[in-house]
Amino acid sequence: MRRREFLKVAATSATGAVLFAGCGRIGDGVPETEFKIAQPVHTPNDWVYGRDAWFATAAPPDQGGYGLIVRVFEGRAKKVDGNPDFPGIAGKSDARAQALVQELYHPDRIAGPQRAASRGSGQFQQISWDSALQEVAQVLRENGGDRAVLITGRPSSSQAAIINAFRQATGIRHAILEPDEFVVLRTAMQRLFGTSMLPYPDLGNAPFLLNFSADFLHGWIAPVALARAYGEFRQGRPGKRGLYYHVGPRLSATAANADRWFPITPGTEGLVALAIANVLLTEGSIPADTFRPYLTALGIDETRLTSEFTPERAAETSGLNAEQIREIAHALVEHQPAVVIAGTSAAAATNGFFNLVACFGLNLLLSNLNQPGGLLLNPDPPLAELRVPQDAVLSERQWAELFEQVRAGSISTVLVYRANPVYSLPPAVGATDALRAAQHVVSFSPFFDETTQLADFVLPDLAWLEQWGLQVPDPGPGYATVAIQQPVVQPFVDGRAFGDVLIQLAQQLGHALPWGSQEEATKALAVQLRRLSGGSVPGANDKEFLVHLQAQGGWWSEQLRGSATTPATRITSPRGPEFIGDTSQYPSVLLPYPSHTLGYGELAHLPWLQGLPEPISTNVWQTWLEVAPRTADELGLTTEDVVRLTTPQGTVELPVYVNPAAQPGVIAIPFGQGHTAYGRYAEGRGVNPLTVVAPQTDPDTGTLAWSATRCRIEKTGRRMRLARFEGNVPAFQLEEFPIVRVMAPSA
Amino acid sequence: MRYARLLVFVLVVLVIMAIPLALVLARSYFLSPTAQPVKAQPIQFPHQVHVQAIGLDCTYCHRNATTSAQATLPPIELCMQCHKIIPAQGRPELEKLVSAFEQNQPILWNKVHQLPDHSHFVHSVHLSFGFQCSTCHGNVGAMGKPGVQQVRDLRMGDCITCHQQNGARVDCSVCHY
Repeated sequence: MRRREFLKVAATSATGAVLFAGCGRIGDGVPETEFKIAQPVHTPNDWVYGRDAWFATAAPPDQGGYGLIVRVFEGRAKKVDGNPDFPGIAGKSDARAQALVQELYHPDRIAGPQRAASRGSGQFQQISWDSALQEVAQVLRENGGDRAVLITGRPSSSQAAIINAFRQATGIRHAILEPDEFVVLRTAMQRLFGTSMLPYPDLGNAPFLLNFSADFLHGWIAPVALARAYGEFRQGRPGKRGLYYHVGPRLSATAANADRWFPITPGTEGLVALAIANVLLTEGSIPADTFRPYLTALGIDETRLTSEFTPERAAETSGLNAEQIREIAHALVEHQPAVVIAGTSAAAATNGFFNLVACFGLNLLLSNLNQPGGLLLNPDPPLAELRVPQDAVLSERQWAELFEQVRAGSISTVLVYRANPVYSLPPAVGATDALRAAQHVVSFSPFFDETTQLADFVLPDLAWLEQWGLQVPDPGPGYATVAIQQPVVQPFVDGRAFGDVLIQLAQQLGHALPWGSQEEATKALAVQLRRLSGGSVPGANDKEFLVHLQAQGGWWSEQLRGSATTPATRITSPRGPEFIGDTSQYPSVLLPYPSHTLGYGELAHLPWLQGLPEPISTNVWQTWLEVAPRTADELGLTTEDVVRLTTPQGTVELPVYVNPAAQPGVIAIPFGQGHTAYGRYAEGRGVNPLTVVAPQTDPDTGTLAWSATRCRIEKTGRRMRLARFEGNVPAFQLEEFPIVRVMAPSA
Repeated sequence: MRYARLLVFVLVVLVIMAIPLALVLARSYFLSPTAQPVKAQPIQFPHQVHVQAIGLDCTYCHRNATTSAQATLPPIELCMQCHKIIPAQGRPELEKLVSAFEQNQPILWNKVHQLPDHSHFVHSVHLSFGFQCSTCHGNVGAMGKPGVQQVRDLRMGDCITCHQQNGARVDCSVCHY
């Protein structure tokens, strides 16, 4: 190039660059209203005083449904906290509740009703509510009744009432999608204690807790109530510190809190529990006639318990030694009243149901049911309408059957509300194919998740903090409790509450539901609570009662307590865990575990939760494999090496995190990532472990056994940065504070 | 002579490189808050009439300035307390106000004093200390048409200098929290 040409090009491009840059203005990229200030016609109350307001509301059902209070200033929800008056939680909350405000302000919320340009294309056009409701009503008119199914996540109690009324009016089928481990837990409670509500371990009064694998401090049934109770257990009683033993395959943050951790082979919890029962019986520390209901439930007799389930026999399969099992049994006797719980991976083995029955059944031996410091059973919701129908909760096997019907055409319309079967069921269940084959798919999700991508119509629900509802916490604190959910802000988008849409659809179909809106349903059901005795809310009339209820955030009655029945017939039989994959090819067990923030992936769209470090590894925003140091040494791996994980079901490549506390032979992987849709923070990040888990089920309940797959890992030679909080910056020694040398247990 | 052409070349390159620099500098001058042109508002509100002619205090309308972080705009209903008896016919600006009230529509003003990002300013604290509104806002009461103009820089350096002069705290968390 000649010098003159160079000058020309340089001058033109430099000037052009400046001119283009200069065309932008400050405020580009920020909303138009950023530099505006609105002068309202009438002043909202909180503006008059310039003070914030705190509104009581309730957490979503899958987070425990407890009472919350939300700080609202100038019409904006700013902060979520636990309701200090609410029983069981006493003002505490968790990260998942705090992140509810992010659902409200999420940039990827669906702004209004949409129609798909063509099914599965991911392209949607905005339509009006009127035409959306008309078209969906038309679909239900032609393909409704028993040709339609409504799939929901666990609905709130008032939504359950509306859905039930809608179901009775239209004849549509209702199916609830819950994580498999909870399905197993509920079934076990139903058959063991005769109650469909979950139990609550009274840790505040218990001197000893024996936990089989349940991650109760982070994400199990009621993490906030249980974590608070755990604080009482350890520090709430002067001079007394509760003793906590954890039996489980992985050192979760819950296990790390224990006084003793007994690492076992995944799925052998029930065998260990039986061996403990064996010790209690043979040593005579518990009267022999107490064992009858326990042995009945498991279909064995005393002879079989004493001969087949000895600690020595259990030691062979579980990975513990007989002495350790005796030690746990002795601790149970010495520290009365002790409480035993089990869950998470214990429920997700091929013998998950047996595990839970054998472990929770120990409470029968300890005679601690509904005793202070024991296992408290919760009563059914105080109103029959508030009951979430247990028979609508489907197991893995039933989902496969349902989707087979959809594929075959006997069900032609699928409605989906806040459930994501395409993501949260394993591919073998066939949700994707079924939804593609269905004639009509309507989604009520406020986000474009994997299932919503396959919908014809999207009628977006409001955010949780924008709608009315009643919520029965499950588990409650041992007595009847109802939380009221009220909108704390005006809706930010043109969405409608799911209950409102159902009521409007029913109207279009010519059926009048008992209520005109979700708000009306909530209030009508709430005032019925006034007729019940012993409630905590005063009120001379319905209006006064409602005002007090809303101010207090809930209603509870300590007189209405749960009761238990003991099993009279055999409900399961002892069974060891089975694993898919042959040991020589697949030497390790793949142990997925629900993330303490993202759960099973339903909260992956919230960046605060994505950025919250996993408590043991401190990893964020990723999927990784937790590998024991010995396994890592054998394969020459260090943290951040990418490995190829192979199971009989498939192959994925993931970075490794070498965890000094991991068991050799167990490779752990967190749930939560691997979304292909669901907004900018969830998409294209990590791997969904369900894609490599074998579709193996528990024969008792038909639920997916996600911890029953064997695997192997191979080095790929590549490396990948893992975003994590600890171990990235070297520690520097200060002269006065020598670094303590940490010795890994001989791996 | 051999080097002259090279010298010219270098000079020309320098000049070319200086053009964007000069433009950026010029642009930054215009970005200074006090040099911003007066913003067009949906209604040409005459502060002059309300303050100087009628004698209203700033806090008559900006009621929360003494008690809260925000000075806040009055709701239109407050304006209408007086304006329901002041005829609006033939006064186009006033007609806009009345029609907004009747149609229940908020008025969207363009913010004149835009606080820098990530900082908090609490009006009540400053007024309790004894400052006048005019310390920061200038003599708004004398500002008639075309509208309110920002007269003080109000960026971080300005705040810090003022805090130092008045013995106020200057650690980060005073404003950034």
